[in-house]
Amino acid sequence: MLNRGYYWLITALAVPAFLWLIPTIWMVSLSFQPNEVLARTTSTTAFGLIPLPFTIENYVALFSFGQTPLWFLNSLIVAAGMALGVLLVSTTSGYALARLDFPFKKSLTIICLIGLMVPEQAVFIPLYTMFADLGWHNSYQALILPRLAVPIGVFLMMQFFKAIPDDIEEAARLDGVTWLQIFWYVMLPLARPAMMTLAILTVLYAWNDYLWPLVSAQRQEFFTITLGLASIQSNFAQSEGLGRVMASGVIASLPVVIMFLIFQRYVVQAMTVGGSKG
Amino acid sequence: MKHLIIGAVVAATVFTGATAQEITLGRFFGACEDAGTDTKASSGEACIIQSIINAADAEIEGVSITTLPTDWGNYYDQIKASYAGGTPPDVHVMHRHRIPEFAGLGALADISDDLEAAGIDRSDWSENALAAVSYEDGIYGVPMDFHANLWHVNMDLMEAAGLVENGKPILPSSPEELLKHAQMVKAATGQNYLAADFAQFPLGVRLVLALIWQQGSNISDGVTASLNTDEAKAAVAAMTQLFDAGLADPQLNYADSQQAFLNGEAAILVNGTWVVDFYSAEAAKEEVGLDNYYVADFPTLFDTGATWADSHMWAIPASLQADEEKYQAALKVLAFINDHNIDWARTGHMAVRTSVLESDEYAALPHRSEYTGTAGIARDTPPSKRYGAIQDVLNRELQAIWLTGKKADVALADAEAEIQDLLDR
Amino acid sequence: MPEKHTSGRRMTESQAALVLLLPFLATYALFLVYPFFRGIWISLHDWNLMAVAFNPDAKEFVGLHNYERVMWGKDITWGALISPVQQVIGVLGFGLSIFLHRIGWVSKVTAVALGVAAILLFVLPGFHPAEGGRWYDRRFWPTVGNTLIFVGLTVPGVVVSALLLAAAVNRETRAMSAFRTLFFLSQIMSVTVVTLIWQIMFSPRQGLIANITETFGGSPIVWLTDEHLAMAAIVITTIWWSLGIAMILFLAGLQDISKDLYEAAALDNATGAKAFWHITLPNLKRTITLVIVLQVILQFQVFGQAHLMTRGGPNDSTQVLVRYIYQTAFRDSDLGRASAMAVFLFVIMGAFSVLQFVLGREED
Repeated sequence: MLNRGYYWLITALAVPAFLWLIPTIWMVSLSFQPNEVLARTTSTTAFGLIPLPFTIENYVALFSFGQTPLWFLNSLIVAAGMALGVLLVSTTSGYALARLDFPFKKSLTIICLIGLMVPEQAVFIPLYTMFADLGWHNSYQALILPRLAVPIGVFLMMQFFKAIPDDIEEAARLDGVTWLQIFWYVMLPLARPAMMTLAILTVLYAWNDYLWPLVSAQRQEFFTITLGLASIQSNFAQSEGLGRVMASGVIASLPVVIMFLIFQRYVVQAMTVGGSKG
Repeated sequence: MKHLIIGAVVAATVFTGATAQEITLGRFFGACEDAGTDTKASSGEACIIQSIINAADAEIEGVSITTLPTDWGNYYDQIKASYAGGTPPDVHVMHRHRIPEFAGLGALADISDDLEAAGIDRSDWSENALAAVSYEDGIYGVPMDFHANLWHVNMDLMEAAGLVENGKPILPSSPEELLKHAQMVKAATGQNYLAADFAQFPLGVRLVLALIWQQGSNISDGVTASLNTDEAKAAVAAMTQLFDAGLADPQLNYADSQQAFLNGEAAILVNGTWVVDFYSAEAAKEEVGLDNYYVADFPTLFDTGATWADSHMWAIPASLQADEEKYQAALKVLAFINDHNIDWARTGHMAVRTSVLESDEYAALPHRSEYTGTAGIARDTPPSKRYGAIQDVLNRELQAIWLTGKKADVALADAEAEIQDLLDR
Repeated sequence: MPEKHTSGRRMTESQAALVLLLPFLATYALFLVYPFFRGIWISLHDWNLMAVAFNPDAKEFVGLHNYERVMWGKDITWGALISPVQQVIGVLGFGLSIFLHRIGWVSKVTAVALGVAAILLFVLPGFHPAEGGRWYDRRFWPTVGNTLIFVGLTVPGVVVSALLLAAAVNRETRAMSAFRTLFFLSQIMSVTVVTLIWQIMFSPRQGLIANITETFGGSPIVWLTDEHLAMAAIVITTIWWSLGIAMILFLAGLQDISKDLYEAAALDNATGAKAFWHITLPNLKRTITLVIVLQVILQFQVFGQAHLMTRGGPNDSTQVLVRYIYQTAFRDSDLGRASAMAVFLFVIMGAFSVLQFVLGREED
């Protein structure tokens, strides 16, 4: 396969690939340049793509002042809480819908799947008033709870459990094991890859969610990093300095980028399954 | 996970302290992390207000303050959302123009009977300042300033164009003269005459509003919208003649227009009082293109003087009155801010207390003597519960004229119809 | 292994199912089903955000009034040639869908979907205010139009570039896998980071694009405050951001195409572009349709880009539906109208979801 055409292809792809990367490179480069310089010009060296003059001041400032570390922590808490919640809700119901027999199973499945049609933008206002009535805004539960009932997660787990051969379960059944035990001791361990996929999908979603946190969290102490970044980018020119804002952007992206690079296989799988069915 | 939550709780306790009455404070003005507690040393809106807040936190017995800064763009959306969610900040800044909406719904505490006990002397407030925080029969806040549109001047460019006399800039007194001056600056320096944020925030729109008021007209009388008028057309034309002749750039936003002025690429920047100390400081720097900075009242291009103005004030949610101790603590914070009116005036804003206005310290503030006329010509659109939505219509339709080439009479007619809809609701 | 239980103490299958379903059903009912119906209920009221929060009785039932004020107007009439371009395209599209079905290019479902879209394109733009009449909300339909333009520009952009890239990087070598990673990377960034980068990229004074054009003697382009370029800038940003998932889906589709087909074609001298046209495209038809529908649903929800980069401007040219809903609810405090718009959004997106579901079914 490694013929001349292949090397041509690589060369031809390198150009768009480089163009594709430029915005990201630029963000990283700007984050390493002093604010006083950036206030005058953003293209000191090679259109600003090379961070000269160089400083790590922006990152130091980011972690010594400001709320970025707190926002970062909030994002971690929300992402972890949401992933655990979604896993709990999706695995249990996915298993029940896939492998158990009970009355109204079919209609219940359809009702669950109808939920796929409801976009979050169609329910964010009533959700807002609900949480307002409960006095729950500006809290972790407000950021996490509305995101637990994701039909796509149920669907994903259901498809997975359906594909498990019957004989595994039957062997356990013959031993007189209860349904819940089968679920816990037999099915969940088997489902680990699917759970991993779902967890990653959820973490990415939680990390990048914007509209609901914007509406629900009015206090910066409950901002996620995504929301916090939005709040500082609108007035960067006046106070924070461009380099600082860019450094925040880098910090906000780093965890998801690292997670993606490590778990790339799962992410791709998650996107494929989630994309074609959800 | 558990550790993270515990960590966050610990952090929250450390941040706020456990014994004192804890007051949350909502504000815009941007973030300033190392403001300190010296209210005399800070500069710029963000750092001055934060130094006052920090000082209040340190000096008021038994009160600790947590600042909840919010970005400009979403401030009122978020403050409304927090009221509706039952978690408004205990003290927050707002504009005079929002009083009808917030006080009209019963969101704000009427503090008229508690001012004296809190050590706030309302008789020291100027008449306009008292009016700014009053709604129907109550007082709903403590005024902090008047801010208005000014003409910030680069004297070197003006000098080069021969537009300086006795150390003062010669400003136009008619739309025709405006064009002439702009051409003179262009011819002498190659730079634009005027810059303003015509593309993002409504600074350029307020400029046009001022020209409408200068002709004795307004966008409405509070009941009937009146924007499709000869006065409005004349006001728009005064600006668009500059754009059409290439003497001003309508596509600059706030940061861009400010940058252009500081780089010495515009003779005049129309912007608010809030940047006076910042521009003074910048002009003193070697590397900044602006060297010779002057501030001027908004010139009268038509019949009577007028410039857009508004007021910052501090309010307390009505719900806080249920908790007497907290309410008293919040009042103490308001009193502290009221006591530091002179420090806030350092930003360039106009003070609200007569005792401050008449003080030598106030008169000695940089450039202060250059815009003493502004207080007398301050104007705003009629009060309305839908002020925000009306401003949005004005911003959208007027910007459409110079950004997208929409015909002025069409845009003004559209704006008039939409504002009428808002007034009718 | 768990110990044996006596059968009497064991849960029945139905009971076990109930226990297992409970967490989902509870959250589903509380956070999706109930809010959905509550949203419809709110849309039938005059409901001020703050007033109702202070006094729950401050809302007033107004029936369908909010829908009327948002979507209808005074003296609205209908004409067959009011917006000739759209309406003629509608008629042509209807004919095309029948034709395509006849010659067997598209399935029945696709043809019906296309036909319905074409009819709507013929009918909807025909409504207009008669002499002296006007739309009650002059911004709503233009906002819907902007959203459609955004979707109409972004989706083809994403699909075409993702397809070409996927076809190019569809080889199991290290270099190609690196390219895949790289093109996918922007997808996982959050909307605020993406808009942060591109807002500065497009800035006429500080932007990289302006810096480069100026070096080569051009005058910088003012992207975000130009009526025509602002939408383009948002579209470019969005394509950069959301190309990854489409590429991954295409790659999955490409894996399913048998290598034999290409080998057979190679014997007929069909390689490269020819093979792409005659083998790849026809075999990817289903994936392409799915990606398109998925992207339409995804891009219809656009909010952050318009909210953060242009604030809907200039002159509302980048105002999109979700941002209008957000503004109506939280700036204008009008939850009733905002909810009516949200229901409208649900209807449109629901239609696409059904389409997607049906298309997904067809495969099985």
